[in-house]
Formats: sequence, structure tokens, C-alpha cells
Amino acid sequence: MLVLVFFTVRLTGDPVGLMVARNATPEQREAFRVAHGFDRPLAEQFIGYLGNALGGDLGKSLRLHLPNAELIMQRLPATMELALAALLLSLVIAVPLGIISGVFPGSPLDLLARLIGLAGQTIPSFWLAMILILVFAVNLRLFPTFGRDSLEHLVLPAVALSVASMGQMVRLLRSAVLEVSRENYIRTARSKGLSEIVITLRHVTPNALIPLVSVVGVNFTYMLGGSVYIETIFAWPGLGTLLNDAINDSDFPLVQAITIFIAAFAIGLNLLTDIAYDLIDPRARQR
Amino acid sequence: MRSTILILLALLLSAPALLVQAQPSGELVIALPNDPTALYIANASDVTTIAVTRQLYDGLLWLDDKGSLHPGLAERWEISDDSTQYTFYLREGVTFHNGEPFTAEAIVAAWEYGLTPGNEYPQYYSSAESVEVLDDFTVRVTTPEPDALFVIDLVEGWFALPPRYLEEVGLEGFQRAPVGTGPFMLEEWVPGDRIVMRAYPDYWNPGEPKVERVVLRVIPDASTRVAAIQTGEVDIVNRLNVEQATLLESNADVRVISYPNDRVFYVAFKNLNSGMGTPIESRQVRQAFNYAINRPGILQALFGGHGQLATGFTAIGNLGYDPELKPYPYDPQRARELLAEAGYGDGFSIGLTCPADAYTNINEVCLTIQRDLAAVGVDVELQFLTTSKFWSEPNYGSTGPMFVDGWSTPAGEALPRIEGAHYPGLYYNSWVDDGITAYVDQLASTIDREERAALYRELSRYLFDDPPFVYLYTLNIFEATTSRVTGYRPLPTETWYLNQVAVDA
Repeated sequence: MLVLVFFTVRLTGDPVGLMVARNATPEQREAFRVAHGFDRPLAEQFIGYLGNALGGDLGKSLRLHLPNAELIMQRLPATMELALAALLLSLVIAVPLGIISGVFPGSPLDLLARLIGLAGQTIPSFWLAMILILVFAVNLRLFPTFGRDSLEHLVLPAVALSVASMGQMVRLLRSAVLEVSRENYIRTARSKGLSEIVITLRHVTPNALIPLVSVVGVNFTYMLGGSVYIETIFAWPGLGTLLNDAINDSDFPLVQAITIFIAAFAIGLNLLTDIAYDLIDPRARQR
Repeated sequence: MRSTILILLALLLSAPALLVQAQPSGELVIALPNDPTALYIANASDVTTIAVTRQLYDGLLWLDDKGSLHPGLAERWEISDDSTQYTFYLREGVTFHNGEPFTAEAIVAAWEYGLTPGNEYPQYYSSAESVEVLDDFTVRVTTPEPDALFVIDLVEGWFALPPRYLEEVGLEGFQRAPVGTGPFMLEEWVPGDRIVMRAYPDYWNPGEPKVERVVLRVIPDASTRVAAIQTGEVDIVNRLNVEQATLLESNADVRVISYPNDRVFYVAFKNLNSGMGTPIESRQVRQAFNYAINRPGILQALFGGHGQLATGFTAIGNLGYDPELKPYPYDPQRARELLAEAGYGDGFSIGLTCPADAYTNINEVCLTIQRDLAAVGVDVELQFLTTSKFWSEPNYGSTGPMFVDGWSTPAGEALPRIEGAHYPGLYYNSWVDDGITAYVDQLASTIDREERAALYRELSRYLFDDPPFVYLYTLNIFEATTSRVTGYRPLPTETWYLNQVAVDA
């Protein structure tokens, strides 16, 4: 990962060309290059960077002249807030809807669930974001257009960011419920004379929710890293907009730092998901 | 008689009201297209950052939207007979936002800190050889030789810095909590989100600023900026395209502003590296290309006619712009004749490189050029490069013999871009010619504005008759304000001063 990020950003060209004034002399350009260490051989730059990264030093931003770790920490709360809100929103809607549609396949609610499932996975979120702004901010004036000033400001970006994950969760839960309902232990429960409500709540739901755990983990990481568009459109001051700016400015050290941070975060989250899996599902422990 | 007495009485009664200066009031919200990277001018590398930074500081002199020079912290100045020494007589009684008094040492600090290695724009300051304090309010700046562009460096970069505060917190600390003498002081800076400024109550120019609070909000997406001004969440938006401007024109609460941007777009011919030994070294071929490309068509079809056809590198609004010079007409027949005269009646093949997506519709412009040149028998091998690759090599070494680009210039002076594109030894020069070099040398050392304007007109003719470019166009910029904003006058460089901007409650 470290290797990949380091070398791919350098494939995009020379930051000096974009950062130094256009009528600068070659000497001034060279001075800038030396001041930021771009004059050293690539291998040497890489080893220095690797050593620092392993020691927890993420370097300093070229454009913002501040330590990258500080910049990331400045922006992390906004991104976490948005990702958590979007995750919560998708869970609150997807869980009941997915279960109901699995229990009552073919019902009007099932139709709605399948529609959300389809829409969530096909509508591009940046397009949805613009439509949300046009309808709910410009025309109806119900929500603010951009920024992160109050809880109201969270609504539209959270909806835009949640839809994809919501759609996936609804589809997953629906098929999990359908699958679990055909299991032998459900048939046993039914033959014991348990009511459908008890069967659904005590036996079907807990088992159908197990695969959701890993999806929640994956989607949360996706929201952290993939919210670049949503954050940019809603001018949400998080990691996504920071990454967007860093890429536009060829701010190599910052691009590297953010990608590594998100990758490390994803690895940590995966670990947590695996542990949670073990706790929830006894079968996973025995393996 | 009675009416005269009444008028006198009325004047007497209203006199106190005229004497009391209006207090700054109201809040102005401005949308920024990108997050400012610094609030220190020597590290302000893009126009948004420059515009925001300016509000916190004052320079010795400043330029208005018409290109006229005004005294700032220097009340007056003298230039020595040999044009290398500038003596500035500074305004007394000015203080920095932290209370530190402004003296000549503040100009020394601007120069010394500006030269810090690693700064992005040391060249504002490296043009001066020495800065001497003559007394508390007199400072003398010396340039190694007469330098016509030094005044631009002064206007753009020499903002007074507080020496005592800088000594206390260092340059890094200063950049986190900058302090200037400007009309606004920094109240809050949330990176990626907002910068909040408040009117400086002890500002030296009475009656300025007019608004109490300025909130600068970062909104990277243009359609979000358009939405935000429609809902009144922001008062000023910039970087609008023609469609967005047209949409906003129908809104009664919004005023659309349009002005020509000082960026000339062009097709460059190279007589260095990949351009050497190609047919474009012939003057007739270069003239032919100027006739062959349908520039009025490009401006109309791709930009809705919202721009001007360029006649050279000295654009509308620049010192020495020559309105008598008419752009090359679109005349493919004349182009064919010129090509035949040059011995290329059967056409030839040549490479053209385009910086992909670097500017509005630039890819389409390149494709149109390819098509127009094909019509006169020239086969253009079109190549698209990413912007960082495009500008990565000295003398545009990564491009073909021709390339498309745009070049802006500060402070209404065409010299930086003429010099940058032509002066031997500069990083981005692409066409070297002794005649041009001589003009550039002369321009650079001529301090008198009138004389310089005359030189610009002569040089424009020279560059028109023996064109190192196909001059394409300059474009209009669209911005919009809510109707409660008055006094907003952006400069052709897309920057602004907010001293005179007011908002209705």
C-alpha cells in the first residue's frame, strides 16, 4: 500500500511545475525542489518516507505548510460525523425494511424495498446530491445548501451518502431473511407452534443480521474514503475535500498521508468486524 | 433669499451627520471556489488565496480595478534619477491588529521574511537588493537595476508585517495567526470550511471598511455555489460559466457581473526543442495558421461570444493595449496562398499538444484547431497531456512543436507573460527572437508608464507581423452578488479589495 501510493502519485508529474510561479527562473525552481527534498533520488525519497511513516510521522503538506497528521485530525471529525450519520440512517431504514420485505415477499413494502435496493445501487450519489440540493434547498428551502454549521446541515449529505449502502443492506437482508426462513430450525420452531412474530423476532432476525455485520464494516470504510464527491458537493469540510484539494494541487505528501490513514483505518475496522463476528456468531468461534 | 437661508439651515443641521463616520455594519458572505492554502502572501499561490489574504494586510501602494496606482501605507514616494532607488514616506499613526505600531521596520520585515527559503513566492522580494530604514517613517528600497516590474512586486507582495510579533511567534506561528494592518482582522479559520474576519476598528482610513463581518465559505462545486446564492446563503459567488450566469440573470435578487479576464489563450509555435527544423519556423506558415483557424467561430460556438478575439499578448485593459490593431480575420483562402508561397502548397504534418481539461472547453478548442488546419491541408497530430505532465519540462519540452495554453498576468502589465514566453533562459519560454528580447530588455528598464505604453504598442505590431503564436481569445468572467451588496469591484485578476463593499441590513 505504501509503495503503491508513493509511486502512483509521482506518476502524475512534477509538483514543482504546478507550484512555482510561471516566470520563475530555473534557480528559483531548483531552490524550491531542494527545500522540499524533491531533488533527491526517488529511492532515497522513498526510504525516508517509509521510515517516517512507520515511525508515525506522516510528513508535512507542500501547500498548507502544516504537518499532515494535524491536517487529518482537523478534518477527521467532520468525515466521521457524516459517515456515522449516513451509516445510522441506512441501518434505521434498511433493517426494518429488509426484514419486512423478506418476511412478506411480494407485498407493497417488499416492492418499496426492492425499489430502494435497486435505486441505491444504481443512482450515482453525486447526481442524487445535486438533485437533493435543487429540490430541498433551492426550491423547498427546507434544508441549507452547503456547509457544516448545525444538525440541519447534516441531513442532505447524509441522505446522499447513505443511499448506496442502504440499497445494498436492504437487498442483503431480504435475501438473508428468505434464506433463513427455509432453514430446518425455523421449520422446527413453526412445528412447535410458535407464533410468526416470535419466530421472526427471535429466530429469523438474529440469524439474518449476521452477514450484515461485515457489510456495515465495509460500508463504513467506503463512506470514509469514498465521500470525496459528496463532501465536495456539499462543501463538507472533511477528509474527502482535503484529499480532493491535495490531488488538485499535486500535494504529494498530503495525498500519501490521507490514503495511508484511510487504509490503516480500514484494516483496523476489518479487525474489529472480525472480532464482532466471533462474538455474535458462535459458529465462527468454533472454526 | 428665504430659500437660501433655509438651505443654509438645512446644511448646518446635517453637518454633524456628515462628520460622524458610519460604523461598519452587517455581514458579508463570500463563496470561495477553493480552500485558501495560506494567509501569508509569500505563500499565497492561487488567486483565491491571494484575494483573501489581501484583506488582512496593507501594501505600500495598491492598484484598483481600472489599473490606477494609489497610495497605501506609503503616503508618497520618490524614484531616484537612475531609477533604482525608491524612497517611501510612510503613513504615521497606523497600528497592527495586535496593537504593534507600524514603522519602517515593518517593510524590512516584509522583505526579510519574504525571502525565507521554501516560500512559494520569493521573487516578490528577490527583486530588491536592499531595504534601508532612513527614519521611523522613511524607507529606501534599492533594486540592482532599473526594473519596471518592481512596482508590481510592491503591489502584490510587499505587505507590512509586524516585526516584534514575528520575532515572538516565528513565521510558522505567524501563518497560523496572521496579523496585519489591513481593514479586516482574522477572527476564525476553519480549514476547508470558513474564514471569518471582523472590521479592524482602528483602521487608518476613516470610513473603511464598511461591513462589520466577512465570512468566506469554501464551496468547491460550482453548482452548489449557484444554489447557495439563489437561497441567499451567500452574497458573492465567482467562477460561474455562461449557463450558470444566464440562470442567475433571471433571479431578481441576484446581480450578475461580467468582466474580461486578463488571460490570453493561444497556440504557441516553438523554435526550441521539438519545434526546431519544422515548417513553423517560416513566418508565412505562422501567419497562414493565424488566418486558417476560425477564431470567431470558436468564440461564438464554444463560449457563446462572451469574450474578445486576442490581437497579441497585450490584452484589453493592459498598459499599452492597442485598439487600432485588428485581429487576423478568418480567411482559409489567404492561408492556402501563404502556405503555397512558403513552399508548403501540398501541406505537411505537425504535432500539437493540448493540456487536457486545463481550461474551459480547451479540449474542444484543440479539436477545432485540428479540423480548421486540416481544411488548409495541414495534418495536425493532436496529443492530449495531463496538466502536470504538460508543464513538467523546461521550455515545454514534453509537448510537440505547437501547443495550446493560456497565460494570465498581474496588475495590468503584459510584460511578465511576454517575458515568460520569450525571454531566453526562463523556464517556460517557447520562442526566442532577438527582436523580442531587445524589446523586453527595454520594457523592463523603462520606469515611465507612458514610454512603456508606447513600447508595448510597438512590440504588439512586431508580434503581430511575425507571430510566435496564433492568438486565440480572452474570456469574460462571470460572478454574481445578491442585490444587497454594493461597492464590489473585482479586479481583472479575479481578486478584490473589500474596503468599499457594503451590505444593506
